[in-house]
Amino acid sequence: MGMHGWTDDHQWSQQHLSHYVEGDLRPRARRRLDRHALGCVDCGRGIRAMRALVSTAHGLGALAGVHAPETIFDRIRSGGPGGAPSSSRA
Amino acid sequence: MPPEDRPAPHPMGHTPDPADTEASLLARAQAGDVGAFERLSGAYADRVFMLLLRLLGDRSEAEDVTQEVMLRAWQGIARFRGQSSYFTWLYRIAVNEANRALERRSRRPAGVAIGADELQLPAPAALDPSRQAENSELRRALGQALAELPPPLRTALVLRDVEGLSTQEAAEIAGIGQAAFKSRLHQARLRVRAAIGDDALVTAGS
Repeated sequence: MGMHGWTDDHQWSQQHLSHYVEGDLRPRARRRLDRHALGCVDCGRGIRAMRALVSTAHGLGALAGVHAPETIFDRIRSGGPGGAPSSSRA
Repeated sequence: MPPEDRPAPHPMGHTPDPADTEASLLARAQAGDVGAFERLSGAYADRVFMLLLRLLGDRSEAEDVTQEVMLRAWQGIARFRGQSSYFTWLYRIAVNEANRALERRSRRPAGVAIGADELQLPAPAALDPSRQAENSELRRALGQALAELPPPLRTALVLRDVEGLSTQEAAEIAGIGQAAFKSRLHQARLRVRAAIGDDALVTAGS
């Protein structure tokens, strides 16, 4: 590309690592980041770090032994204020 | 199989009945059948509760807000027209109620600090002990970083990355457009990355 200096490319790349791993960059922008990361240890590690972040966050999503309390319908069953569904349909 | 013909995921402890599709449960619930509503919504109760736990970081408050979500859903179910899936609709109520709870919390003199421990879960047992320790440390750090995010950014990261929802569905649940949602998501990831540090992420993620 050649029209951006290394510092510009570096700052821009650091701000777009999430866009990169999300697949949100247009091909030209993706090539810019790819090209820069090839010669930049920090941005190469940044890409790996961002992928690890997303992967670890996704790993938190499992419902390992977490259950809703059995009281979740108590307010409905008690027939408190507004306990019946509205009959007017929008 | 269209979603409306799909057997509803079975709620806590109930044997699924093939006749109980989401569509039939929804129709009965909209006609005032509270049992049908409980089976329909109970199928998603664990996910709703987990979402609220992650957004609120407080188990007691998450329990209370889950009850409120179910009450709001029951009160509004007759007006649900099916433009989105029932799950998306229920999740959107949950996010709205979480926002209301956070707003109430912010008005209290001494706000309850969000609990980082509630935002992460134990590492999978399949990992060897040293990897499990690294993974557990990363999860703890991620939970802490999530807890420190402003609520709109936390909601975006939880819906997209933790829950694994599509951008379209997550944006709909958050009640914003996809471009705005993406902007929040990218900001959230940058902040979390800065909080944890690349070395910790890369080491535990390799």
